[in-house]
Amino acid sequence: MDKFVTAIRDGFLKGVSTGWFLLKIMIPIYLIVVLVKYSPVMPWLERTCAPAMKIFNLPPEAVVPIITGAFTDEYGVLAALGGFEFTTASITTIAMITLTFHSIPVESAIARKIGLSPFRYGALRFITAVLIGVLTGLIGGALL
Amino acid sequence: MTATWDIILKEMIMGSLSTMLNLLKVMIPLMITIQLLMVYNVIEKLANKLEGLGKIMGMSKNAMFPLLVALVMGVSYGAGTIIELNRANPMSKRDLALIGIFMFLCHGIIETGMLFGVAGASILTVTGIRALIAFSVTMLLARTPIIRGLDDAAPSG
Repeated sequence: MDKFVTAIRDGFLKGVSTGWFLLKIMIPIYLIVVLVKYSPVMPWLERTCAPAMKIFNLPPEAVVPIITGAFTDEYGVLAALGGFEFTTASITTIAMITLTFHSIPVESAIARKIGLSPFRYGALRFITAVLIGVLTGLIGGALL
Repeated sequence: MTATWDIILKEMIMGSLSTMLNLLKVMIPLMITIQLLMVYNVIEKLANKLEGLGKIMGMSKNAMFPLLVALVMGVSYGAGTIIELNRANPMSKRDLALIGIFMFLCHGIIETGMLFGVAGASILTVTGIRALIAFSVTMLLARTPIIRGLDDAAPSG
């Protein structure tokens, strides 16, 4: 029983400190996303990426969380999602794409560290993410 | 700028606050769950029970533990476990490649399930279906010549 209470307490404290650590990363990402959203870059980005997003049945602005996720991590995706209004189906599709293809710089370093080719595994993730995105985009509404 | 600054600033403040609340809502239960899983060695016990699934994905029985650590807790925990295990008795190249395929496609399902659930995604899809896809891809790739050609014996020395 003592073990249980200690685990709960340790977990709680870890949750608060990890949450604080992540916030320091997420808030700046969120602020940048809001600025980009209202800047002249956004219409250009939407025009350029609209055809690609259409493959996934997503609105053009979905490119922002997807690109953010590739370079940062899941928390960056969430921060970027917060800047826009997406439907549940779109959020699910964006989640499935970014959860497969995210944190490429950091996780490539992890792959190298355990002796795996960052390039091969990155390519595998990219291809799978596209396939998953197409699939989720097609059946998106039916899954909810 | 397509909106006035006071609208942008208001959005930034409200958005930052809701990000903060959502994050704490996830991080505290998440870390308590992970702590409980570690204290009671849940993953180790689960790994023994799920050996059969590992076999379907072409893995030896040692591979299931680091794979489950990565799947449940995240890629950095998984990689840490692999490094730790390699020190004691090195893993075969085939096991490592297969764990890598699954782990890089799908990891940290508790964390991401909660995070994206709060954000509004379908939790079943981002956890169950995502794990099922990683399982299927690993199973298929395990049967290709690239993976079958890899050494399945643990390197000596």
